[in-house]
Amino acid sequence: MVKIVKMALLSRFVRRFRRDIKSNFLLFKTVANSEYRCLSSLSRPEKLVSEETKEQETNGGHKAVVPLECRFVYPEFLPDPRVGRRNSLRERLERMDMLNRRSNIDVPEFYTGSILAVSSANQHAPEKLSRFVGICIQRGGCGLRAFFILRNVIDHQGVEMFYEMYSPLIQKIEVLRLEKRLDSELLYLRDALPEYCTFPLDMEPEHLSQGSTVPVNPIKVKLKPRPWLERWERQELKGVQDLGLPERFYKRAAEVARPWEKYDLMKEYRESIPAEEQESIFAEVYTQLQQLEITKKMKRKRTFVRPKRTG
Amino acid sequence: MNQADVTKLMSRLKIKYAPVRRRLKNIEGPEGRLKKIRKTLTALVKHERIELNFNRADETRGYVERLISDAIRYGDCHRATMELADYWLLEKQLIHKLFKVLVPRFENCPVSYTRMYRAPNLPPDKGYERAVLELRGNPYPPLLPDTTANRNLIHNVLLDEAHKEFRAQKYAEIAKKLEEADENMTKSPSDVAAESSQESETESSEEAEGQVPDEKMAQLSREKGEQPPDILGMFGLLRSYMY
Repeated sequence: MVKIVKMALLSRFVRRFRRDIKSNFLLFKTVANSEYRCLSSLSRPEKLVSEETKEQETNGGHKAVVPLECRFVYPEFLPDPRVGRRNSLRERLERMDMLNRRSNIDVPEFYTGSILAVSSANQHAPEKLSRFVGICIQRGGCGLRAFFILRNVIDHQGVEMFYEMYSPLIQKIEVLRLEKRLDSELLYLRDALPEYCTFPLDMEPEHLSQGSTVPVNPIKVKLKPRPWLERWERQELKGVQDLGLPERFYKRAAEVARPWEKYDLMKEYRESIPAEEQESIFAEVYTQLQQLEITKKMKRKRTFVRPKRTG
Repeated sequence: MNQADVTKLMSRLKIKYAPVRRRLKNIEGPEGRLKKIRKTLTALVKHERIELNFNRADETRGYVERLISDAIRYGDCHRATMELADYWLLEKQLIHKLFKVLVPRFENCPVSYTRMYRAPNLPPDKGYERAVLELRGNPYPPLLPDTTANRNLIHNVLLDEAHKEFRAQKYAEIAKKLEEADENMTKSPSDVAAESSQESETESSEEAEGQVPDEKMAQLSREKGEQPPDILGMFGLLRSYMY
């Protein structure tokens, strides 16, 4: 009796829930029947159903305590905030595929300003492998299309390489120096003196002690004289020395500046993912990511790193 | 392909908002748009219920919800939030109202902090759609009647009957326990008396709830000495209210 009352009261919600499930399942059917071959990790469509029930169990049961600092280490797990680009099923499938890729290859924690060495498969290279060392100047993309750009100056020629983090061509990503800079994007290094972007290709990895925070490099870079690729004086760059431009540049920058944008609450909301959603997304993937971290640490402990003589 | 900006944590908005911002016709451009919204936001926090054009109300609603949710999340000792409140609230005593009145009011509120109604556009006005924007918990009398207490609405009918059924079940359980206690005390003659008393109870409860179209269920109950869930009685009631 009471059950029927509850049903009557919640019928609206049940209907809405059913509608969502129906639309998702229609998509799931097409994916399972025709397109699942394209998805790397799916061998059988039954796997999808089991994953969904697993998620429901974990979400319906106790709430795991997930540190929201994950959002800095794994920013590509968060979806594109634009409403037209959201698709909950596609996002879940992408997260599954991302975790699968991470179980095959170690994608380490890095930030803009860290120096990485990436080995990727290249059919034209002598050993079918090409290695590039560079500083990460930009990081972006969501899901499987997450990318980063490495910059280095080789033989007095500035070179940038665009890598997709989850591309199957990438064989190895090593972090040679893990650090952050004062800016979130270092595109101004293109107009900086070459000494700030030159890193030896045979650079040795620098290890940080376990459990320490990522150091912030407060270096201020000197730019080459104008012309530049962008009007750096109009961007609030903290990692750049005094640009030394005539007064009119700064006046014009002040005229075209948009200081009200930092108070624009809806603009920042539309460009980000709310905290509750971030929690639910990381709750899905956190346990697996933690397991991967643990296996990585165990592997590291096993390899002996010969101590370098200093002084 | 934008990576979400994670530098600031913000609570989820509990309202429907447009995916793209409205430009709100104004001379000064984007800054003027924010100035307009700022005036409306200040007025809403001051008066707690305002009537205005629909587009402006809808734009401002998102900003109000965001401001209050930030105030709840970070509190008044957070510099950035205080600067935001200082920018958005033109009358500075409203900053005190935001942190000392509105935050405790909406701290545990699971729904939106504002309500928006469409207002009538009577002739000779032919122009923009009107809306009324108000904060929940405002001191004015409600604009729409509160139907939650109307006993004649179907959800309340079902709830009332569920309460009655629950109470009847509880009484039956208590009676059963008393009978079992009696049985343990005395012997067989008391069993017959217990069954007859149970039957009379079931009959009275069924009569109280009205029409019982399925008599077989009632017969079964008398035979078994149990009270079945009166599902069909409920359906009978539903029919009586629908037609």
